[in-house]
Amino acid sequence: MQRPSVGSRILVNIVTWTVVLTVAFPLIWMVLTSIKPQSELFRIPPTFLPQSITFEHYWRLLTETPFLNYFRNSMVLSVSTTVVVIVVATLGSYSLVRFRYRGREALATLVLFTYLLPSVVLIIPLYLMMVGLGLSNTVFSLVIAYTTFALPYALWLLRSFMAGIPEDLESAALVDGASRIGAFVDVILPQALPGIISTALFTFILSWNEYLYALVLVNSDSVRPLTTGVMNMLITSFNIEWSLLMAASVMMSVPLIIIFAFLQSFLTRGFGAGAVKG
Amino acid sequence: MSFSAVARKNTDTLDRRYAILGTVLIAPTVLIFCSVILYPLVSAIYLSMFSIYTPTLEGGWVGLDNYTSLLASGRFWNALGNTLVWTVGTLVLQIVCGVAVALLLNQSIVFRSLARSLILFPYFLSTVVAVLVWRWLFNDLYGILNHMMLWAGIVDMPVNWLGAMPNAMISIIVVGAWKYFPFVVIAVLARLQTIPDPLYEAARIDGAGPIARFFDVTLPQLREVLTVIILLRAIWDFKEFDLIWLMTGGGPINSTQTLPLVVYQEAFGLNQMGMASAYAVTMMIVMLAFMLIYLRQTRQKESI
Repeated sequence: MQRPSVGSRILVNIVTWTVVLTVAFPLIWMVLTSIKPQSELFRIPPTFLPQSITFEHYWRLLTETPFLNYFRNSMVLSVSTTVVVIVVATLGSYSLVRFRYRGREALATLVLFTYLLPSVVLIIPLYLMMVGLGLSNTVFSLVIAYTTFALPYALWLLRSFMAGIPEDLESAALVDGASRIGAFVDVILPQALPGIISTALFTFILSWNEYLYALVLVNSDSVRPLTTGVMNMLITSFNIEWSLLMAASVMMSVPLIIIFAFLQSFLTRGFGAGAVKG
Repeated sequence: MSFSAVARKNTDTLDRRYAILGTVLIAPTVLIFCSVILYPLVSAIYLSMFSIYTPTLEGGWVGLDNYTSLLASGRFWNALGNTLVWTVGTLVLQIVCGVAVALLLNQSIVFRSLARSLILFPYFLSTVVAVLVWRWLFNDLYGILNHMMLWAGIVDMPVNWLGAMPNAMISIIVVGAWKYFPFVVIAVLARLQTIPDPLYEAARIDGAGPIARFFDVTLPQLREVLTVIILLRAIWDFKEFDLIWLMTGGGPINSTQTLPLVVYQEAFGLNQMGMASAYAVTMMIVMLAFMLIYLRQTRQKESI
């Protein structure tokens, strides 16, 4: 390769970093707003960097609003959904990849189809179902509803991981006298573990960020997750306190930042288009 | 009994046992699929032929009346038009920005992994957070966007970003692009790294400049991955609810009201569950074309 000149390399750096900082600006502004005193927020012209830094909004968020309650609900909800979905999807994807039986191909197509299905189509019957079962306004109803998008997603992702494990490994274990289940536990699971962990993290993110089901199926503060809870703080307040809302936004994103750090290497290593759902 | 016959009998029973084991392993999946996806899907179609009042859940059979009045109403066509404008607008922006940024991030720049993280992060952010941040940026009195534009002399009056047309539509398209273009970046970046260098080398020797190299080498190599991305993003953008609902609520008046918003409003605002189901089913039929193309593409690629 012909080496680009120093000048053009500097230019590429400047252009790229300008673009990156422009894209990141809303997030930077979110953090800056959350640590500015209320009085500084409404100054004209606005200050870019805060003149004095304060954490009072975070303190108020944790002590005077139901934020921690919402946070706990979201945690319980997302962890439960992830555990249920990962257990079912690991067994299911192993079966789809390594066993032959009737209807297998049809099932795989169905998984892909449901992966693309809009939530608004399912929401009305699901709402009626939850009311009928007396489950409305429970975390459990949301776990059930979340499997409708999380399970097809996890199945599809895990299926490609399972398909990537060489079949010879399993055959070798079987020749050595292991049972099919034994081979699954001793050979397949350790091999698929990185894939299972990343699928679990992606599933957690999906559940953490879900809004529509939570809006329709839950309307009491004791079960509300963060998405609808924080939005409720915006709608019900008389004068909108942006610094408080920005503090809530930052806090809400902290678990995602931690997970994101784990997934980083995974994403840049080159992950197919099907891996990340929108 | 000969030896081979015994062996065959053994593999036969083993095959059968394996088939049973495979069925047992897939059983929980099938059970969940039937109860929370297939059953609701079928009942959505069934419900669309009733007129149901949401609070009491009472009503009667109306056959296809919901569909005929839906197709005759301005509400449906307005929403369909808005959905198409939103989908095409945000999709084009996502693809253009996504490919451009992927090309930039593929260069050797300082702190490249930090740059990548910053670009990718909006995609993982909750839509609620994205909406809160942007509504604060768009705020007409204290929003930084209006201040910057006033200061730069681009406008002399603060702009009403979300309460007037066509501003509201443009605003949600931009926010949608900001939130979802990282998906394009991830996929394109991964593909860019697999394009062999000799292709560029050959083009360079033939005297192709950077722009010609992009159109003659990079773009053809990206064609396949771009097709998949466009199909997936078109489907996902078409059914987007959270972002539009939280940014504008469909307003001003009905000018950013898309089909998913109509479904929600019919069911839980106007309390017409049957009509809402009819909207949902019609919306799915419109999407079906894209979904079928995507299904065929993906299944085809797998069988090769």
